[in-house]
Order: sequence, then C-alpha cells, then structure tokens
Amino acid sequence: MEEIVFGIGITALAGALATVAGAAEDTESDIGSQGDPNSQVQLAPQMGYIHRIFNKAVAGEPPAYGLWVALGAGLAWAFMAMQINPILAIVLGSALAVFVQGVYATTAYLGRTASLAKFGQPVYIDILKSMTTVTMAHAFVAIFTTVAMCHLMISALGHPFPLPLLGLVWGIALGAAGSATGNPFYGKERQYQEQKFGAGVPISASGNIVRYAEAGQRNSLDNGFFSAKLGGPASGICFGLIVFFELWRTVVFEELNIWGPIIVGIIVILVFAIIDRYIEVWARKTFGPYTAPEEASS
Amino acid sequence: MSVKIEVGAGGIPHNQILIYGLVGSLVLIYLTYLNTITGTQYFAFFGGLAAVVALLWGTDTIKHLCSYGLGTGVPSAGMIALGSGVVGALFGATTGILAPIVAIIVAAIIGAVAGLMANNVVRMDIPVMIVSLIELAIVGAMTVLGLAAMACGTFEFLGMITGTVVILGFAVQTYEASVIGGSIIAVIFMLGAIAIQHSFNACLGPGEQQDRTLMLAAECGFLSMIPVAIISFAFIAFLPALVALLVSVIGWIYTYVQYIALSKRDAYAWLDAKPILEPKGGA
Amino acid sequence: MSALGGPAQTGGVQPPTGMGLVLSIVLIIVALALAFFLVQMAGLIALVGIIVGGVLIAFGVHFVPVGGAPAAMGQAPGIATGVAMLAAGAGLAGLFGGAWAAPFGFAVALAGGAVGGGLLMAITCTMVNVIYVFGMGIPAASGKVAKDPITGDTFPEYKSQGTEGHGLPFISWVGGVIGGALGGLGGTLIYLELLDIYQAQLPVILNVTVEQIASVAISLAGIFAVGMFLMNAVLAAYNITGTIEGPHDPKFKRFPRAVIAAAAASAVAGIFAIALLGLVGVF
Repeated sequence: MEEIVFGIGITALAGALATVAGAAEDTESDIGSQGDPNSQVQLAPQMGYIHRIFNKAVAGEPPAYGLWVALGAGLAWAFMAMQINPILAIVLGSALAVFVQGVYATTAYLGRTASLAKFGQPVYIDILKSMTTVTMAHAFVAIFTTVAMCHLMISALGHPFPLPLLGLVWGIALGAAGSATGNPFYGKERQYQEQKFGAGVPISASGNIVRYAEAGQRNSLDNGFFSAKLGGPASGICFGLIVFFELWRTVVFEELNIWGPIIVGIIVILVFAIIDRYIEVWARKTFGPYTAPEEASS
Repeated sequence: MSVKIEVGAGGIPHNQILIYGLVGSLVLIYLTYLNTITGTQYFAFFGGLAAVVALLWGTDTIKHLCSYGLGTGVPSAGMIALGSGVVGALFGATTGILAPIVAIIVAAIIGAVAGLMANNVVRMDIPVMIVSLIELAIVGAMTVLGLAAMACGTFEFLGMITGTVVILGFAVQTYEASVIGGSIIAVIFMLGAIAIQHSFNACLGPGEQQDRTLMLAAECGFLSMIPVAIISFAFIAFLPALVALLVSVIGWIYTYVQYIALSKRDAYAWLDAKPILEPKGGA
Repeated sequence: MSALGGPAQTGGVQPPTGMGLVLSIVLIIVALALAFFLVQMAGLIALVGIIVGGVLIAFGVHFVPVGGAPAAMGQAPGIATGVAMLAAGAGLAGLFGGAWAAPFGFAVALAGGAVGGGLLMAITCTMVNVIYVFGMGIPAASGKVAKDPITGDTFPEYKSQGTEGHGLPFISWVGGVIGGALGGLGGTLIYLELLDIYQAQLPVILNVTVEQIASVAISLAGIFAVGMFLMNAVLAAYNITGTIEGPHDPKFKRFPRAVIAAAAASAVAGIFAIALLGLVGVF
C-alpha cells in the first residue's frame, strides 16, 4: 500500500513536470514560429509581405524536441556517471542542450532569411539578439522538466530504459503533443488575426500574415505573449494528461491484476471519446452551420 | 499552401562530393584505430571529424533528393537515413577492424531496399531515389559509427558495450556505464538525424547557395561533436576527451563565423533594429 | 534546378510494379531463410514478429489524421504536424508502456504498448478539438467526405469558405486512436522480439548473467525499434504524400503499397538486427 501511495505521489509530480514542459515547449516554438506555422512566415515575403518575425525552422517540433531532450538526458547521464549529483547533472545537461538549441535556432533564421534575398526580406539581427535568448529560456524549462520527469520514471518507478533512450521517447512525444495542440492557435488566431473569427483562413489569404502590432511592428515576443494565454497551457494540459494517465494506470492498477492497466487505459480512451464527441456536438449546435441549408432557412 | 522547395544551381558537382565524403569519412574513421595500435585514446576525435565529412556529403544528397518534392518534409529524409544507418553501423561494429567497411556495405543494402520499395512499390518514381537512399543510409551509418567511436575511443562493439565505474576507489568493469548500455547511442542517433537534414532545411529557398549550405553542414557536424566530446569524459581519460572538446569547439567557432559571413554575403540587407522595409510599389 | 519531376500526379492509385512485388517477396523469403539458418527457429519467429511489427506501423500511419501546414491555419482537417513524426510520438509512447510491462509476459506487454499509443492519440486529438472549438470557434468539418461514416454528421455546411475543412471530425478521432494503437503495438512487437534474442545470446557470448547485460540488451532493442519505426513511418508517409484525414480519406486505399514496402524493408533491416551478435568475437 505504501508503495502505491509513493507511486501516486511520483505520478502526480511527473504529471506536473510534464504540464510545465508542454506549456514551455509550445510557447518556445511559437516565439520561433517553428513547426507548421513556419510555412506562413516563410511564404509571406514571397507574397510581398516583409516582416520582422523570427523564422526558426529546425526540423519539425517532434524530432527537434527529440534531440533537445535526448541530448539533455544523455549529458545528464554522463555527468551522473562522473559521480555528479543528479539534480546538478540534470541542470548542467539541460543547459548544454539549450546551447545546442540556441545555435540551431540562429543558423536556421540566418539560412532561411538569406535564401529569401530575391524577395527583399532583410536579415534583422536584433531579432536574433533579443529572441534567441527568450526561446532558449523557454526551451530550458521544457528540457529540464522533461529530463527530470524521465529521471523520476527510472529512479522512482523503475522503468527499464536508460535515461537517454527515455529522453528520446518522451522528447518526441512532447513535440508531437505540443505541435498538435498549440500550432493551430498560433497559426490561425495570431498569424491571421485579421481574418474572420470562427472560420478557417481562406487559402487565398495565405502569406498575408499580421505584421504590425498595437504600437509599432509585431515581433515574435508579442506572439509568445499571445501563445502563453491559451495555446501553451493547453499543450501543457495535453502532455501532462498523457504522462499522468500513462503512469497512473500502471502504478495504481498493476498491483490488482497485470491486465488492470490495460483495461483502465481502454476506459480512459473511451472517456476521452465521449468528451471529444460532446465538444464536437456542442460546437455544431452552438456555432451553427456557416451557410444555412435551403430547407432550414426560415 | 506548402512552401515550394527551391535550390540554387551551380557549385561543386555532387559526384565529387560523394567521393570526397565516402573516402574522407572512411579514412578519418580508420584514424581512430590508432588508439588501439598506440594504446592511447588521443585519436578519438577523428571519429567526430569522420561524422562531419559524412554530414557534408549527406547534406548535398538531401538537397538532390528533396529538390524533387517528396510531399512530406525534409526532416523525414533525415529520419529514414539514420533509421537505416544505425542498424548498419551497429552490425558493422561487431566485425572488429572491418567495422567501417562492413557498416558501409550493410547500410547500402538496407538503403537500397528502402529505395527500391519507395520507387517500385510505393511508386514515388523519383529517378535519384534509390541512389539517394543508399547514400543517406551510408551517411547515417558513418555518422553513428564516427560519433560513437569519438565517445568511447573505439569503433568495436565490445568497446561500445563495456565501461568502467569507480566504486570506493576501485575501477570496476560494467556493461551499464557504456555507450550502448547507457543508450548514448540514442543521443548520437538524434544528433545525426537533425544534423543531416538541418543545413538544407535551414537554407532552402530561391537564394540557396551550395557553399553556404555546406558550411552550415560542417557547423552542424562540429556542433554535434561538442556534446559527444563532453559525454566522452565519462568513457575515456581526461586529456584525450579535452583534446576532442578543443578540436570540436575550435572547429565549431570557425565554421559558425564563416557561416554568418556567408549569410551576410547572401542576405538582401543586414539590419540591426530597423523597421520593416516595404517593397517598392507597396505590398 | 527546382522540381524536376516528382511523384506522378495521376488520379488513380498506381499499383506496385511487377519487379517491385517480386523483389519484395524474394527479399522476405531470403531474410526468413537466413534467420532460420543463423538463429534457428527462434530467429525465424523473431523475424516474423519484426515484419508483422513493421507492417502494423506502416498500416497504422495511414489512420493518423494529419493536416500538415494547412491544418495550422484551419485550412485543412487534421492535426497540424508531420505524419511520420506524430505517428512516432504515439508509437514511442506505446513502446514506453510496452517495455515497462515486458516482465509480465508477451501479451500484456503488447496490449500495454497498444493502449499507450492509443491513449496518447486520444488525449492529443481531444485537445486539438478543444483548441479548435474553444480557442478558435471553429466546428469540425471534413473536406473529403460529406457525411461522417460513424456519427452521420453532415459537413459541407460547417465548412468555412475557401478552405478544405478543419478540425477533427469524430471519424478522424477514431482513426487517430487506431493509428496510435497500431503504432504502439508494432513498435513494442519489434522491441520484444529483439530483446528476447539479445537476452538469450549476450550472456552466452560474454559469459555473464542476464542481469549484468540487461541494459545493453534493452538499449540495443530500444534503439533498433526506434530506428525501424521511423524507417517504416517515413515509407508510409511517402505513400500518402504528406497529409491524410483518416480512414475515410480516399488516400487510405493506398495502404497495401506501404504494407508491402514496410514488410520488405523490415525484413532486411530485421535480419541484420537479429544476426547482430553472430559475428562478435569472430574477428
């Protein structure tokens, strides 16, 4: 019994760490316009819209985070092998991984922007100076929390994978959850906030991203401020729920029956199916169709 | 609306890069064998240099392949390269001194099968598909083998699965504290998978220049060497690891500065804290 | 040198070429024969498991609703990320669960892997709809079909002007969960088969106990499972050329091509992974 209570505590802590990681990950990638919204930042100058947005195209989010977290975990593992205290090792490993992330971010911006010379998009190096540091800070939070979570899974819950391999697995999952949840909010609601609310962006509007702010010109820090309001926390909840349920179903129900975690997992999936269906129906009822069908137009 | 992938023309022909990359990485990786011959660990960093040369070649291959438009992102090419390469590299590693050559052959077989499947079964029908996936698998294998050799000082399998830990002042041999046992190979896998595709992914566009892309590839290679050199402190003696770290840092600073200079050369304008320059005639 | 050819953009699905089919069958048979010759019955069973795992991964990728870049603007339905990467996220989360449950036996571990992958996709897909509905005020609508095959909802009137649909209709949600579960199942299957082989062979070769080499066996099986997962996922992504809405998408009918390609590619990569330890100590 005591073991289960201890396990539940670790599960809750891991879930909390994952929530922070997801929120930081999405905010970081939106400040850098990484992932799929990047295509619009890349397209805008070709359509004649010169902008001052950070264009940080480092692969997709899942592989990029797979690298940052695996790297942080690998370095932390190496420091621990050198008899350094685990907490210090994780901090040092994450800091070095963030250094690699920062360098990749600058080279991506310089490369993409220099290749757009034909369309008159200049390189604004003040963007690099002011925004790389902000993305690095967010990335540090995401990497540190994820590596710490992985370390907990091994040392407290006894997962068989070594730390770097676990970092790779959860890093890719973190990137997948963060990009899936957070990207549409940044891509549609922020890049195209001049378009109508409650509708997708018409394909004809592609590239016409918002480039001016309330005062002056928009930069990516404004985007981070916006993402932190909904996209980031939602990504955090998404990743936190994934980690929490994944651990919870095993830690609590494995003692009862070895098939317990699987049955509970299926039940959780069904619960989410009901939630999803409810949201979908609620949206259809509340928002209504865009063009009323003929027979219903009274 | 997806971004059309465009690349610049001209530069060094691909076949020349292929030969330099293949021979260069093979020779450099064999230089790490000096460790075994001389009984030291000072030559470990040659493994990292082999990975740099292989990545230069792989970047040019990705540029050729992706200029056809795969329908999915550039990063996926890096994933399939390292996914097939890691099998080749580790299989090769079990064959002792023949490791690099066997790794190349095995990776080429897996890459060829993947390429044939992509063209003849999935029907991508891209003329350079088979050759490109063979090249990418070899590049992936050489990158994994090179960086792994850099981390533990040898490209032989038994060296990769054994390490030592110091318990109460005694050095004890263990399988857990090793490149494979500690899954450092997973870190090397991801380092290679991002480094191989980043330079082309970052430089694509109508103004792409081969010298700038390749400089970035070298930068990515040296940048990947830095964490591997730090990890290698856990496996090899202090001074050899320090030499490896110094080589990586110096190489990285040089290529990074050069890359920034080349970006400055190719950029439309290089501005600091200036407003948006609206194009003539308005947006 | 932009887009010289690229995949043929014809309307129907091009069947695999005769050569491709024959080649894949020959490769699978040769690999199976080699596995039997090298590691006897255990090797044959393991290779069959790896091939089935690869096929499950490639098949599962076709279920995952991925909209790529347009989905991030509400221009196309699906999840706004790359198809191979999202599948990898789900499959590897499944691998996490499967590897954890490995001591409880084969069936429990496989089921654990499948549920782990499905759980990740269930939560992610739900959160995608939460963002679309509560963050952006957009109801879900498919662009490829007029009616949801499961719920019977109609879509054309819920599709905003100038887009191909948006959000995740329920059929795509179900597809995502099935895809994640199949990916987790396939990844775990490859991992378990390789783990069995290495745990049986490594102690004999190195003359140590199973506990001592556990981390080496787990790391090797884990990294090969990741590598083969990515290889099969990318081949499947090439097959669906980037984006797909789920099982109701017309592109879904292309899956036999990816299944054949993944079977042959997994067979070849798998035989090298199985035979990995055959040469240790020979040279």
